[in-house]
Amino acid sequence: MIDYDYLTPRSLKEVLSLLKEYGPRATLIAGGTDVMVKIRNTRKAPEVLISLRGLQDLRYIRKNGGYHIGALTTHRMIEQSQLVMEELPALHDGASEVGSVQIRNVATLGGNICNAAPSADTSGPLLALDATVVLEGPEGRRTVPVMDFFTGTYMTVRKPEEVLIEFEISEDMGNFGSAYWKHSRRKAMELPLLGVAVALKLSEDKKEILDAKIALTVAAPTPVRATLAEDFLKGKPMTDEIFKEAGRIASSPDCCTPRTSLRCEAWYREDMIRVLVPRMAAKAAERAGKSRQRRGR
Amino acid sequence: MSDYLYVGKDIPRTIETDKVTGRAVYIDDLKRPGMLYGKILYSTRAHAGIKHIDTSRAKELPGVRGVLTGYDLPDVRVGFLKDQVILKKDKVRQFRDEVAAVAAISPEIAEEALHLIKVEYEDLPAVFDPTEAMKEDAPLVHEIDAGGRPVRTNILPLPWKFMAGDIEEGRHNSAYIVTDQASTTWVNQCCMGTSGCIAEFDDNNNLTLYNQTNVIFGGKQRITEYLSGIGLGGKKVRIINPIVGGSFGTKLDTDIYEFICIQLALKTRKPVKIHFTREEEFRALPPRQPARFTIEQGCDKEGRLTFRKVEAILDNGAYTSWGVTTPSIMMNPVSSLYRVPNVSFKATCVYTNNIYCQAMRGYGNPQATFAVETSMDSLAEKAGLDPAEFRLINRNQPGDVTPMRFKITSCGMEECIKSVRDKLDWKEKRGKRNGRGVGMASLIHVAGGARVYKSDGHGMMIKVDEAGIVDVFESGTDQGQGSPTVISQMVAEALGVRPEDINLTFGDTALALWDAGTHASRHTFMAGNAAILACEKVKKQILEMAAEQMPKLIKGGFKRKKRRDPDFEEPDLDYALISDPANLDIRDRKIFPKNEPKHPYFTMEVSQVLRAGLHVGTGKSKVVVGEAFYDPPTEMLDREFKGNFSCTYAFGTTGVEVEVDKETGEVKILKLIAAHDVGKAINPTLLMGQIYGAAYTGVGYGLSEEIKLKNGRVMNGNFRDYKMLTARDIIPVEPVVVEPGDDDGPFGAKGVGEPGLVPTAPAIANAVYDAIGIRIRDLPITPEKVLAALKGEDPVC
Amino acid sequence: MKKISLSFTLNGDAVTAEVPVTWNLLKTLRETFELTGAKEGCGVGECGACTVLVDGDAVNACLFPIPEIAGKSVTTIEGLAAGDGTLHPLQKSFLENNGVQCGFCTSGMLMSAKALLDQNPDPTEEEIRTGIAGNFCRCTGYVQIVEAVQTAAKVEK
Repeated sequence: MIDYDYLTPRSLKEVLSLLKEYGPRATLIAGGTDVMVKIRNTRKAPEVLISLRGLQDLRYIRKNGGYHIGALTTHRMIEQSQLVMEELPALHDGASEVGSVQIRNVATLGGNICNAAPSADTSGPLLALDATVVLEGPEGRRTVPVMDFFTGTYMTVRKPEEVLIEFEISEDMGNFGSAYWKHSRRKAMELPLLGVAVALKLSEDKKEILDAKIALTVAAPTPVRATLAEDFLKGKPMTDEIFKEAGRIASSPDCCTPRTSLRCEAWYREDMIRVLVPRMAAKAAERAGKSRQRRGR
Repeated sequence: MSDYLYVGKDIPRTIETDKVTGRAVYIDDLKRPGMLYGKILYSTRAHAGIKHIDTSRAKELPGVRGVLTGYDLPDVRVGFLKDQVILKKDKVRQFRDEVAAVAAISPEIAEEALHLIKVEYEDLPAVFDPTEAMKEDAPLVHEIDAGGRPVRTNILPLPWKFMAGDIEEGRHNSAYIVTDQASTTWVNQCCMGTSGCIAEFDDNNNLTLYNQTNVIFGGKQRITEYLSGIGLGGKKVRIINPIVGGSFGTKLDTDIYEFICIQLALKTRKPVKIHFTREEEFRALPPRQPARFTIEQGCDKEGRLTFRKVEAILDNGAYTSWGVTTPSIMMNPVSSLYRVPNVSFKATCVYTNNIYCQAMRGYGNPQATFAVETSMDSLAEKAGLDPAEFRLINRNQPGDVTPMRFKITSCGMEECIKSVRDKLDWKEKRGKRNGRGVGMASLIHVAGGARVYKSDGHGMMIKVDEAGIVDVFESGTDQGQGSPTVISQMVAEALGVRPEDINLTFGDTALALWDAGTHASRHTFMAGNAAILACEKVKKQILEMAAEQMPKLIKGGFKRKKRRDPDFEEPDLDYALISDPANLDIRDRKIFPKNEPKHPYFTMEVSQVLRAGLHVGTGKSKVVVGEAFYDPPTEMLDREFKGNFSCTYAFGTTGVEVEVDKETGEVKILKLIAAHDVGKAINPTLLMGQIYGAAYTGVGYGLSEEIKLKNGRVMNGNFRDYKMLTARDIIPVEPVVVEPGDDDGPFGAKGVGEPGLVPTAPAIANAVYDAIGIRIRDLPITPEKVLAALKGEDPVC
Repeated sequence: MKKISLSFTLNGDAVTAEVPVTWNLLKTLRETFELTGAKEGCGVGECGACTVLVDGDAVNACLFPIPEIAGKSVTTIEGLAAGDGTLHPLQKSFLENNGVQCGFCTSGMLMSAKALLDQNPDPTEEEIRTGIAGNFCRCTGYVQIVEAVQTAAKVEK
């Protein structure tokens, strides 16, 4: 029979102390949408669940210098944030598409990233926005670029005694236009078959690509950056042909290793990368144009 | 006729307010005192011998009250061909075979007990494809039949063969002939309320089964037969429906879990509830019957159909339920959709180790219409004809008798095709091959009952009490389609009362006469006709009582007035006007003389008359009650599967405009026109609900829904991976209601529950062809299939 | 099985429940409080039939760990109508516009719709569909549900 103890600490300090006390006997739970489902489906539970829900001061979306998003921020908060929608639109796209309103109301950004499913909708955007993860543990605080955070499917560098407390995105990312496409069969309640996030920084006259970041999800065991395609785009003019070539490079084995699963076949994923990278690049470029206007540059 | 008070009006579903307040009691919510919870252990193999089942640890778990395996039960066979026992003990033939069952004081303990049961299997070679299973050296799924005779093939001994006219002659008369393939796969009904029942025996071993079946009397008969087989002959069975969370075909047969529940209740002497989780609903519930078709059709130079030959292979799965009877309905569109003189149909049903199938909305019609209507388009193309024009040339018409001997009476097909053609801007949009296209498909379905059993009767009992409340004891069941409201409207109209005066009982065998089943879209038609007949009887009694009582009551009233006021002058009235029941009528709760409806003194409330008729005081008091058992003037299909087995038929056409994204293969529906000949819409808003719901399920069938079976195992048994449409998957449905009336339908109405779904998938397939020049012949039409076909890689086309 | 005692507000009333720690909000509502309006359609947050409001937000009760309910305010379908039984405009509108057929999804659907209108009293069709996208319905094809929400929104204005 499923049985566990459920602890509700009120501060990060308390959480760290409990993690130390229980070690591998405990699992952290935030929104619960992953953990509760796993317990039900596997009929196995850890001895202790340590809830992070009481850490209300880890729910925030701020801009001071860079962008700072607390780990306990829900997807719904991100969906409803004007700041994120205007300045980090790929993250807005990703967070808004997760599951349903009911799921987004409780599921947290930190929980989504720590769960490290290859299909997480926020991992691609965070990767394309060059985000950094802030971890707090008994030895203090450390930061890890999201690019280095995932080590495999459902695996991250977070040590069991550490808590993910914040995401940081550099101020410069606000000068990029970005977009994320979740490729799925339906428009809700879905995991993506393939995710493409693109962030572009354009020249003053909006005709040249100064910088590009392309992140692919469900295209490899972890979310990946298609660096070869990014390098190709840098310094190039903004044309359909250039975007198409970037798509071709991104879909090649140099950038990703999509596989066949129950949900989708590898060849289709590969094709979709090729098709969607140019589409998201165009959308990112369009948004790059707008955001500069808004800031009156 | 046209001054109906309720029929044809949008009466809201106020009678079902419980559903919006959380008060409605579904099987999930129903509890009986002392109730236990039952759970079923399913096989973990597709095909294996059972060497041993060890339940000892499960029995010892605190809270467990009973554990059963096949060893504990007599070998009574159930199912359409009596090919299964309820708990398997010699071998398992599919992943969802029931191997053991537990009853415990909580569902969690019952679930825990299941995991303590150890089953030793010995794997057998399995077969998962019907073509493979037909081969001589294929592993045998069944070794003996219901009679104990040895079986040497996986092909089922079923007579699904139909022939009318002469196919050779048809070929000979053809200027154009096409041969096409079409295939459909398993889809889940996806009722939001999952399967479940509560079985409860009284101390004399009479059984009450709270279950969700649409066929309460058929179910009662099967269960009575089963009880007889296990030594409880002569015991009574009562079936009661709670509120049901959708059916869509899942609740026609008596499922194995129901028999298991009964056995657990018998063993524990307590009420037992079995209730499926969603996982079970996807993995263990028999889904829609898949089919592979080969179809050959021809037409002459003028575009008139000359013949149609269809052969089907059905993957029956491991046992038989209603899925294997779908060929009898597949024959309907094959023989009777459009005018076609020479027809042949053959269906081969094959046992495999896949999941077996039951009914689902449309019952074989969606599958066969997909084959027929996609082939019609390819024949139209070969003949150089516009597909809409081709259909109009061959449209069914009133007065036709089809090769299956269906007598077409009311028929709105022409109007349906034309309205779809016009609303889709057919002539402007067709033939562009630019990624956008239009397509259409039609349907024929039974709409006036369906004589699948010897009796297609439907009974109704009506009683009117002294408060004027009308109790209607209905023999049908309700799955949410709106029957309580629609039937209230028809009874109110026929009787002369208001819908809110009516109290309906559904789904209880003890409170109903008999009904063949709420299936085949027959409920409105049957209940309406029964209502009209029953109301006639009841009205007669009321009016006879009125003729007797009204003069007395009115005169008595005057006398009382005179006593209070001596100056009162009693008016000189012609009481002959209200002394003959033939001269009286009822409307809006009031009885009045037909000749002078506005007579100032001769109007009286029904309740007042009934009170007077009951409280007579002389030993002559009367109650008002009437019944009717309506069995339509139809025939059973004969040995050749011919006969007018429905009173009338529904027609309709669905037209779709699509846009195909040639880079992703995604098909977007820009417009869906659903034109339906319903005879008469009793409640237009409720009718729309049927059309919208069926259209959405049809789009799912066409584009996204499929149960993924891998070596017999359901791989996508949840809502995340089974692609039923969400509210954000917008399909712009525009219903068109065609009302030619119908002489046999109550107030002219015909059935519509299933027709809405039937032509949707072929209409989409035809539109996709118009958009990109590629025919996808295998449902669902997924982006992968489209993209592969566009790249020239897909063998399916 | 460890039990926990929790105090929270349920449909306007202050209540206390003593339940196993491992229970979720759905089971607590249905078993302890006998509020059976919220249904288990899947048990894993994939169908919306169990949707209730917690502090005004629509959540899947089947995934809500009961210890988290302490101090919060829960509204279920049973708390939607007024104290004297007068139906909420949404309930009335669902009946009048045929937004209810079998009714199994209705409790959850109405709560999602309420959360939507409380936060966004004048939603577009797209916003309505997003608001109820987490609630599956097999009967209606969603069309008349959307119409019912639109009608209720007009009435509430």
